[in-house]
Amino acid sequence: MEFLTVSLLNGVIYGLLLFMVSAGLTLIFGMMGVLNFAHASFYMVGAYLAYTLQKFVGFTTAVLLSTVLVGLLGVIVERFFLRRVHKHGHAHELLLTFGLTFIIAELIKLFYGNFSVEYRVPEFLNFAAFQVFSTDYPFYRLLMGGVSLLVFGLIYLLLTRTRVGIVVRAAIHRPQMAEALGHNVPLVFMAVFGIGAALAGLAGALAGAFYTTNPNMALELGVIVFVVVVVGGLGSMAGAMIASLLIGLISSFAVGVDLSLASLLGLVGAGDWAQQMGGLMTLKVSSVAATIPFALMLLILLIRPSGLMGEKG
Amino acid sequence: MHTKTTLRLLTLGTTLFAGIACADPLKVALVETLSGPSAATGQMFRAATRFQIERLNAEGGWNGEPIQLLEFDSQGTPAGASEKLKAAIGSGAQMIVQGASSVAAGQITEDVRKYNLRNKGKEVVFLNVGGEALELTGSKCHFYHFRFNGNAPIRVKTLVAAMKEAGTLGSNVYSMNQNYSWGLDMEKSITENATAGGYQLVGKSLHDTQKVQDFSPYIARIQASGAQTVLTGNWGNDLLLLMKASRAAGLKLRFGTAFLDQPGNLANAGDVALGHYVSHPFNIEAAGEQGEKFASEYQAKTGHLPAYIEPQTVFALQLVGNVLKKLPAEDGRLNTRSFALALEKASDRNPLGDVRMRAEDHQLLMPFVVSVVSKEARYKVDGTDMGFVPIKSFSADEAAAPVQDACRMQRPE
Repeated sequence: MEFLTVSLLNGVIYGLLLFMVSAGLTLIFGMMGVLNFAHASFYMVGAYLAYTLQKFVGFTTAVLLSTVLVGLLGVIVERFFLRRVHKHGHAHELLLTFGLTFIIAELIKLFYGNFSVEYRVPEFLNFAAFQVFSTDYPFYRLLMGGVSLLVFGLIYLLLTRTRVGIVVRAAIHRPQMAEALGHNVPLVFMAVFGIGAALAGLAGALAGAFYTTNPNMALELGVIVFVVVVVGGLGSMAGAMIASLLIGLISSFAVGVDLSLASLLGLVGAGDWAQQMGGLMTLKVSSVAATIPFALMLLILLIRPSGLMGEKG
Repeated sequence: MHTKTTLRLLTLGTTLFAGIACADPLKVALVETLSGPSAATGQMFRAATRFQIERLNAEGGWNGEPIQLLEFDSQGTPAGASEKLKAAIGSGAQMIVQGASSVAAGQITEDVRKYNLRNKGKEVVFLNVGGEALELTGSKCHFYHFRFNGNAPIRVKTLVAAMKEAGTLGSNVYSMNQNYSWGLDMEKSITENATAGGYQLVGKSLHDTQKVQDFSPYIARIQASGAQTVLTGNWGNDLLLLMKASRAAGLKLRFGTAFLDQPGNLANAGDVALGHYVSHPFNIEAAGEQGEKFASEYQAKTGHLPAYIEPQTVFALQLVGNVLKKLPAEDGRLNTRSFALALEKASDRNPLGDVRMRAEDHQLLMPFVVSVVSKEARYKVDGTDMGFVPIKSFSADEAAAPVQDACRMQRPE
């Protein structure tokens, strides 16, 4: 019971954090067809900016400011880099964002060094919200989850209930038509890219304090975020939410599952033989917990390539 | 016409003569992770290697020539290491230095062994200054591999002994490790030391290396097991996130680690790191006057105090240098077979104590220190107010782990 509750809580919060980062990515892909490899780098830049600004303006302002700055960075990237490459096709845009990942990582190493930096949760947020079976549950985790839900709500409302949202959604489906009707589609693209980047920056600013802030952050998170986007369906916000929660929960629960093929075979009496075989037979689920999301992605690509909630075809 | 031919003859003549006068300088190749996620560690190995090679050259080099250090970036992958090893051997390197990854070390040692089998008389020596997986002096041992650093049994044995003496080991211990050769070795050693340490192993976990961001599920398991101490071989983010997650959950766990002294750990962990233990091959505070001298020399050259894996690399190359000094050239080149035969019997004294190479498995027997993170340390780390205070030193014999049965070394005739 204890294991279930704690894993559930942890899984949901981790999933919500993943959502905050992947929401931006799926938004950008849905709108523009650009798979932004540098998205996880925006996450990293958000963390480092918040770390630097924190020394001058305090934590909350630092987080908000770094979100805005990363959003601006996104706008600059779109306006001056991606737009030029747009006419050459998606492959070139992909390569550009791929190159950006390296440039951003090396710039960060240049300014902040190779090792992790001292970016920590501020004291006024560093307390336990409640106790779960005699373990403290940190308030900061709830804060991250809460911000993520808020962001989801705001974006959903923005897209479905406002005029701007209608224009943005029109620009996805029929960009030429929307442009013909007089809407400034390039501006919409720029704004969407900026907002997507800002979301990643916000996630970085918040998560960087709780986890670690180091030059490999982008690599660590970047792969999982892609898995989320592929599983959820490219372009679908709801899909990203479902996929993030799914992956968060799976990663959390798998850690406590000590089953292996050998234990399953033990049910039919072949347990000892399997134990002796070793290798794949005795591989416990818990020791590959972080790899299960990739297996899930493989499954989705085989069965339903457009993702859980992506558009068919 | 005349001048052109004379010029041609002259150049031909001088090039013929040029070959005779030069001896072959000794080429040492560093095949290391200089880019990618573990680049920071690889760069430290490089800094330490450069430091000691420069010192050896200041003392005269080898055979009247300065030792040449060639650097190759393996990018942290076994495939990269294998490729760059070929390039290194092709460039004429006779010694390979590597340390940042047991996985890469495993690849390099196998490649070197196979190369040596096919190229008798032109063997290459692998100086392993950082790979701690047991198999390197176990099932993968061979005559031309030498290990100059610790391994899992040494780390665990010293940690357990020191923590037990300090009274902080407790009776319930949890083993948390990464799921690869090194982590598996650590788990095995922690299990085997239970009687000696007087503790009960209440649980063990293996997790994917450098992939887990959220350690709270693991902390939940540790809590459920009732452990008071966690012994772990985790490094980098895996260690940091584990410690932070345990603090976030409000657990009062004691950590016994092998790599807490990696730069950046204390800065990132902050007060979370206080009171935890690390077993490492060097601590300036424990090495007396000699240690201080070495530390200030190192800082003068590189700009920072020797930390983490740098001291063991420097001392390794110091031992190699000692052996080289007594070895004359044969046909202008280094005879690596004679070198290896001499190195496996070599001994030296580093600031912490006596070291000697064990000929049976080519594992260096070296002193170890167990330290605790405290604000009382003389040498502060990472710009914080904390450092590592040594609490127990072990001589080479006290720290040593026995030769493994799996090592069947084929000696040259």
